[in-house]
Amino acid sequence: MKSWTRREFGCLTGAGLLTALSPRKARGQAKARVVVIGGGIGGATVAKYLASSATAVDVTLVEPRQSYTTCFFSNLYLAGLRPFESLGHGYEALARQYGITVIHESAAAIDPAANTVALNNGSKLSYDRLVVAPGIAFRDRALEGYDDAAMEIMPHAWNAGPQSKLLRRQLESMEDGGLFLIVVPPDPFRCPPAPYERASLVASYFQNSKPKAKILILDAKDKFNAQDVFQDAWNRHYPGMIEWLPAQFTGGVTAVDPKTRSVITAGATFKAAVANVVPAQMAGRLAQQAGLTDQSGWCPVDPVTFESALQPGIHLVGDAIIGGDMPKSAFCANSQAKACAFAIAADLAGSERFPAHLFNTCYTYLAPDDAFSNAISFQPVDGKLKRVLNFVSKVEEGADIRRKAARAAEGWYDAFTQDVFG
Amino acid sequence: MRPAIAAGLVLLVSQSGAAAEPDQGAQLAATCASCHRLDGGGTGIPSIIGLGEERLKSALLAYRASERPNHIMHAIALSLSDEEIASVARYVAAQGK
Repeated sequence: MKSWTRREFGCLTGAGLLTALSPRKARGQAKARVVVIGGGIGGATVAKYLASSATAVDVTLVEPRQSYTTCFFSNLYLAGLRPFESLGHGYEALARQYGITVIHESAAAIDPAANTVALNNGSKLSYDRLVVAPGIAFRDRALEGYDDAAMEIMPHAWNAGPQSKLLRRQLESMEDGGLFLIVVPPDPFRCPPAPYERASLVASYFQNSKPKAKILILDAKDKFNAQDVFQDAWNRHYPGMIEWLPAQFTGGVTAVDPKTRSVITAGATFKAAVANVVPAQMAGRLAQQAGLTDQSGWCPVDPVTFESALQPGIHLVGDAIIGGDMPKSAFCANSQAKACAFAIAADLAGSERFPAHLFNTCYTYLAPDDAFSNAISFQPVDGKLKRVLNFVSKVEEGADIRRKAARAAEGWYDAFTQDVFG
Repeated sequence: MRPAIAAGLVLLVSQSGAAAEPDQGAQLAATCASCHRLDGGGTGIPSIIGLGEERLKSALLAYRASERPNHIMHAIALSLSDEEIASVARYVAAQGK
């Protein structure tokens, strides 16, 4: 259908000119322009589903990185069970197969009155609809002493990429008998089961290569989801290796000292061989700058269209949003993105909107051949996304079911990344 | 529905209904695509491509009736109406042809 790729053309001319010269526009059928900022799971999914919808839409995806590294499955990399490269996904298929204009630049500012996005390279994109998928940012001064320099010594590894590699290197060079410390932030944060999955998989690595090592989890909470399933697995697979301390025991983590790799709570100081400090979170910086966040630091949205409750015409998906029971997970971002894309497409075409189905499905590893799963469905109720059904693996589930779930998780990763990145 | 509506409008409605049907199927199938590759490939998670409409429909109805053997499919199927199950089964079956 196309004799030139919009991506190449877009790079040469800028998206504004592109739209003006596109064949449909030349015939007088103006195509709506949708700009998507952020090429993580939510942003990439919105772009792909809008570009492949029956409604004619010109889709531009703004993402500075050449490829995306998935946070999900990065705990397998930390445990030496998966190569780093296997977590990376490029945008070539979105450009080539779906005709999305992919611009590898950062968005600098949004002007909602002019319907434009300014990029860091000085160019401007106009839009009819804007979708912002800014992911998370870390809250400043959430923990005393935890600044940019401290992150290079006590990595968070909560955005997959160089931080994951740093933490893996530290775990590899740690001496047997060392203490690996994980600081879990207060709710809400990206991927709620991930700190406990991380402890489980790093324990499986230690068991083989540093059997005297210990893992200590300092939590900002007093309980966590599927706690019985995790603690049962820790006792079965890694007896005595993992200790979890709730906030009620420690008074909570208040500060870190990178010089001594120590974590300070109200009552004690814990000196670690390797410290994985995950700070408190909020919506990505662009959302803060563009007035898309409320006092909570997150973005309130309409639960049907995912349009911002604060800025009409701008939609938000993924970890940055709040407004209900949906956790911050890649699966939720993907599910929201599809609902958002269908709502925008229906609105632009003036066609019927079908009830959206929103889910979270999650596979969590307890050991390389022991994984559990859960599935939650959500519906918009009174302006919020309410949890309707919730099924989770039980402690007494058999080893064969858990082995199957570990294999299913691999298949899920393959299908899911195919769904998002084409 | 008012019975007095002119025949032309009825035709219009049925036409838009016919156009909407694959759209609804496609949107529901987007949920499947989060875990099942719709190109028929993949391992670890069973393929749903090439199964046929009736088989897909009866599988979804069975998943809806019972938490075993798969609570993920149980949650998905429970959230779908009979009409939605028919619609997604028809759409996914057509992808395999």
